[in-house]
Amino acid sequence: MAVVTLGSERAGTGQARGDRADRVAACLERARTGETAALSEIVPELNPLLWHVARAEGLTAEEAADVVQTSWLELLRRLHDIRSPRAVTAWLVTATRREAWRVRELSRRQVPDGTAQLDAAADPGPAPGEQLLGEERDQVLWRHFQQLPERCRTLLRIVAQVARPDYAAVAEALGMPIGSIGPTRGRCLAKLRAMLLADPGWSA
Amino acid sequence: MTDPAGLPLDADDQVILDRLAAVHAMLDPPPADLDARVSFAIALDDLDAEVARQHEELAAGVGARSSERTHTITFDADSRAVMITIVGRPDSLVRIDGWLAPAAALRVELRLPEPAVSRTETADPAGRFSFDGVPHGLAQLLVHPPEGGVRVVTPAFTV
Repeated sequence: MAVVTLGSERAGTGQARGDRADRVAACLERARTGETAALSEIVPELNPLLWHVARAEGLTAEEAADVVQTSWLELLRRLHDIRSPRAVTAWLVTATRREAWRVRELSRRQVPDGTAQLDAAADPGPAPGEQLLGEERDQVLWRHFQQLPERCRTLLRIVAQVARPDYAAVAEALGMPIGSIGPTRGRCLAKLRAMLLADPGWSA
Repeated sequence: MTDPAGLPLDADDQVILDRLAAVHAMLDPPPADLDARVSFAIALDDLDAEVARQHEELAAGVGARSSERTHTITFDADSRAVMITIVGRPDSLVRIDGWLAPAAALRVELRLPEPAVSRTETADPAGRFSFDGVPHGLAQLLVHPPEGGVRVVTPAFTV
């Protein structure tokens, strides 16, 4: 896979995410030089992103967990091919997505019943669990988020998990290089933002 | 202000994205044991291994004796498949019966989380192997190849 070189890190918003990206890079470096245990330090950093990538592809919770694990195992073999430490996030996102497609195709083929097939294809996203959200602001956000087209929900769900310095690489891994993910993300986010800013429950 | 993608992303956008991440974390969190499962699975001393996919898991069947619950998992790798049946024992340990296809008398290693140590058995010429008295919890199988071949590693699974 292509080695993605990223620009220098930006201070300001997303600083915490930037720190995360640096830690990921440092751990990968250690793993590549033989300290494989270092990888387990970045597992908690990246698992939420990979989990949402797999879930956004329509997998059940159990399938998504398997796919995330498989992607990490595949990473071990490729560790020495991934020359840019920062590219590891993109590599894992790509692997998770491909593996998710494979699993989804398999499980669809195993369901002969048309109705069940439709169910399986449905976005498994979070249950409509607005009442599970304690903060009113989160409830408002969730309600408006649900109004977005599916493509927007998928994109924003994943983008929200991405560390800013990894953004360009992940965008490419998602098959939405900067030229196209940008405006799409922008449109999706702009739409959500407009709805939220018009809602006193969010602005208050 | 632009982010590295050259896109306008201001503080309002950032707040929305951050809350979106938080809301998804609350409504659709990864399984609580996912980090532990992955960390265990990738803590291998040798990086080069063929990764087997967990192909199907047959639901637990309750045999004639209710104490003997079993379930079967198949792992597929390009070079070999590993099928195991996990048989519950009355003493809350389990026995893992497995076989390799294509059959070969290869060394099969059962990795368990520390402080337990790995166990190794050699499959018979029909590819059958067995580990008895295995504690409940995470486990992982490695099939060691004949000379020159590549190891097959399964994902971590729960017994």
